[in-house]
Amino acid sequence: VTVPEGFIVWSVLAPALLLLGFALLTLLLAVFLSDRGFLAGVSLTGIAGAAVFALHLLMQSQHGAAEAGFGLRYLADAHASALTLVILLGTALAVLVGQGTRERLRIDQPEYFPLLLLSATGGVVMVSAGDLITLLLGLEILSLPVYVLAAWRSDDRQSQEAGLKYFLLGAFASALFIYGIALTFGAGGHFDYANLMAAFSAPGFEANVVALLGAAFLLAGLGFKVALVPFHQWAPDVYTGAPTPVTAFMSVVVKAAAFGALLRIAATLFASLEPGLFGGVVPSMLVVLVGATLIVGNLGALLQPGVKRMLAYSAVAHAGYLGLAVLAVGHQGLAAAGFYLAAYTLMNAGAFAVLTQVMDDDDRGDAVERFAGLARSRPYLAAAMTVCLLSLAGIPPFAGFIGKVLVIQGAVVAGHGWLAVLAIGMSVVAVVYYARVVVAMYFREPSGAATADRSIDRPVGAALVIAVVGTVLLGLAPGLWYTLLERGQNLLVFVAAR
Amino acid sequence: MISALLILLPLVTAVVLLFARSPVALRGIALAAALATFVTATLLPGSAGLFRPWIPGFGAYLALDPNHAGGILALVASLVMLPTALWASLRVESGANRFLAALFAMWSGLMGLFLARDLVLFYVFWEVTLLPSLVMLAGWGGAQRRQATLKYLLYAAAGSFAMLLSVAAIRPLSGAESYLFVDLLAATERLDVLTQVWLFAGFTLAFAVKLPLFPIHHWLIDFHEQNHPSGAADVAGTLYKVGGFGMFAWALPLLPEGALQLAPWLLALGAFTAAYGAIIAARQHHLKRLLAYASLSHMGLVAVGLFGLHLAGLSGAMYLLAAQMITTGGMFLISGMLHARRGSFDADSYGGLAASAPALAATTLLVLFASIGVPGLANFPGEFLALLGAFQASSAAGVLALIAVIAAGVYGVNLYQRLYQGPEPTPVADLLPLEVVVLAPIIAGTLWLGLAPAPPLRAFEADATVTVNQLQQAGAPPDARFGTLGEVER
Repeated sequence: VTVPEGFIVWSVLAPALLLLGFALLTLLLAVFLSDRGFLAGVSLTGIAGAAVFALHLLMQSQHGAAEAGFGLRYLADAHASALTLVILLGTALAVLVGQGTRERLRIDQPEYFPLLLLSATGGVVMVSAGDLITLLLGLEILSLPVYVLAAWRSDDRQSQEAGLKYFLLGAFASALFIYGIALTFGAGGHFDYANLMAAFSAPGFEANVVALLGAAFLLAGLGFKVALVPFHQWAPDVYTGAPTPVTAFMSVVVKAAAFGALLRIAATLFASLEPGLFGGVVPSMLVVLVGATLIVGNLGALLQPGVKRMLAYSAVAHAGYLGLAVLAVGHQGLAAAGFYLAAYTLMNAGAFAVLTQVMDDDDRGDAVERFAGLARSRPYLAAAMTVCLLSLAGIPPFAGFIGKVLVIQGAVVAGHGWLAVLAIGMSVVAVVYYARVVVAMYFREPSGAATADRSIDRPVGAALVIAVVGTVLLGLAPGLWYTLLERGQNLLVFVAAR
Repeated sequence: MISALLILLPLVTAVVLLFARSPVALRGIALAAALATFVTATLLPGSAGLFRPWIPGFGAYLALDPNHAGGILALVASLVMLPTALWASLRVESGANRFLAALFAMWSGLMGLFLARDLVLFYVFWEVTLLPSLVMLAGWGGAQRRQATLKYLLYAAAGSFAMLLSVAAIRPLSGAESYLFVDLLAATERLDVLTQVWLFAGFTLAFAVKLPLFPIHHWLIDFHEQNHPSGAADVAGTLYKVGGFGMFAWALPLLPEGALQLAPWLLALGAFTAAYGAIIAARQHHLKRLLAYASLSHMGLVAVGLFGLHLAGLSGAMYLLAAQMITTGGMFLISGMLHARRGSFDADSYGGLAASAPALAATTLLVLFASIGVPGLANFPGEFLALLGAFQASSAAGVLALIAVIAAGVYGVNLYQRLYQGPEPTPVADLLPLEVVVLAPIIAGTLWLGLAPAPPLRAFEADATVTVNQLQQAGAPPDARFGTLGEVER
């Protein structure tokens, strides 16, 4: 790896700085302006600006010229810039959905947009981190705004409970994570991945048990954020209790950021521990977690009567499929996960966006019955939901299908054939619970719900167009995105000396 | 280019039809597009394929090639889709534009499925074709359509996902450069027997659901019973029974060692399916259920031909698959015409129609006899060769499958009697001019495949030879039982 010159490289920091700047700008503007639509526009401008820089960095990585700052502590390689784009996409969708529904759902406080942007800033820092402290910083910047956003509907006990629960468990997860950092530092003497990798793979390295414990705690801490079983228990409650636009944000952006960090750690620290005496321990732990996540997430979703809670469990299930990519980091796992996260962001945010249009004005009422006859009363909404759900179920020609092929292939190549079989078996279960909603929309008679004659909120409609077109486009021409991921240069990836 | 056009033309038509409002415009567009698509299909043989990268880095290509077994099947399927589209535009009343759009989307998917020479592309078309098929059943089915649709979806999804696992695994495990058939063919011999068996089992699950084979055939009966009474959706569903093609074109040549291990079991299952389907069909009163079981029996014979792993049987199975598209498809169209006259699928409520509708009776007799394998008509060469192949592998399986042929005579003749002979309660109209137009391609196809079997058979044989060569290499020592080229030509 050629270490890029210079300590502070501004272009590397540009996406995060721009987001931060616009977060502060919208916060200031909110004091003087009561026009929320303008604030949403400013937020989207900031996101678009950050996306331009991230795209530039992604293109640089295509030519093997990936940049990094702070001496490889802040990376802007293919993985980081691609996931930055995914985070920005998820944030943009959340801004649109929030703008469309804020009045109806009474989440109309002006701080909504700045908090989204701040949280996204943290996500960008997380996926770019090449150092455990930087990662921790990103994790906290990401999490704190989301705690607030989850409890946003201050007159709603469910929302408050969601915020409090997320905060308490999130604090617990952070504590585990910090403990993991401490142990890793104790074992390797450094915080940055480059030096830790060198230390772990140096001949005569003996503090293996401490290093493994550190790795285990790091895994547990991030496992909380991505909702791997058994660290998933907060997810269904928080996703259900939080205001639906916030749930859309959490389920895609927080997941993309945490998986980005986990993938990076797996490709560097975990990989450099593998040749050692207990090298199989961390992968085995991950296998157990991923297998349990696939089972619990899918069976849990099958048992849910409400659509919002079903989508919450399905978000857990998708963490399982992404876990397959983490296991395959040595075999194109980073590219597979990058594709999967992009697809997942589009289709999952799309599904939640539809949900906001079907639920009551107090953000309640997600029973499957509310979708009955939707195909007749609101055909475009039903079609959008169908595309998103089919894609989530992994049926071609939609993006979710390609993502599923990629992660399953990764799992097989990495030698986890049985886990791939489990993932496929659970996909059949997933078809059942996604199909239940589609069946209700197309087969059942309209239930006479109050939302039947409501028209789609404009910004939400825009979000749906983006989600549906993106889902179809990534399904038909996956090369557009996958080639960038696959050809892009990644820094610091550990390659065992043979 | 022709191949790509053949996929795009019906697809574009499907989109256009969604926005067609007036019935006249609808029928005009459907007829013109169906004719254009069919003419395109007749240009397939000998035309150049398509080859361009699709997902670089993953080894997937947009690769279409009409010059193999799939090209013939695409042509035959188009021949059957042409009258089906016309018939549907006449008979489907509510939401006709959406029904026709689904039908054309299915046409497009089937063409892609038959022409694809890249495994990922094949899988995509395989799955995509399911969606319009579900839409037709769900939107225009009978009273029990919800259960039927869910059952169909679950069987199909379970099978397809198992295949997806094999598709995802086969390239990296074998170290092939891409998912192109030729690349995989050269690489899969590196796989050890156990891996081949597992991968083959994954493909088998998907193909056995779609073939279908006993005991995973339950979706088929409900599927046909509940579909729209015009029979158009049933025809499309019949064309979509492509499990045998998947076996022939992908699983057998790519995984010969896995095939050798599992084929005896599948051969027995196929023979049982053939006999079971034919015997149950003889006891049915509901016309569409009867045809569904008869179709199941044909598919058992296709399986018997495939899993005999003999050159003659392999090509015979594909021939039978092509022929039953025409004959079973034709029978479903005729069932729709009968329903249009009497509003019922109960075979016992008919009788004596031959007196008032002699032309309809004669046509039914021709297609029905072709369907039960009377020599000189479409199904016979395929059935004969499939059974020949089965006897090379196991005479017990061959004898079991022969029961199907005998029972077919029973249900076939019996059906004709119940419909057309005996006292006639009320006279019905004979074939209308438009119905003659609808049935003409079916009759032409029945005679074509019955009287001139050599050209298509040679195309199937060329592909089967590849499979046989693979089997010869896999089975050490080389085994004469797979047959050699030239043996089939009588």
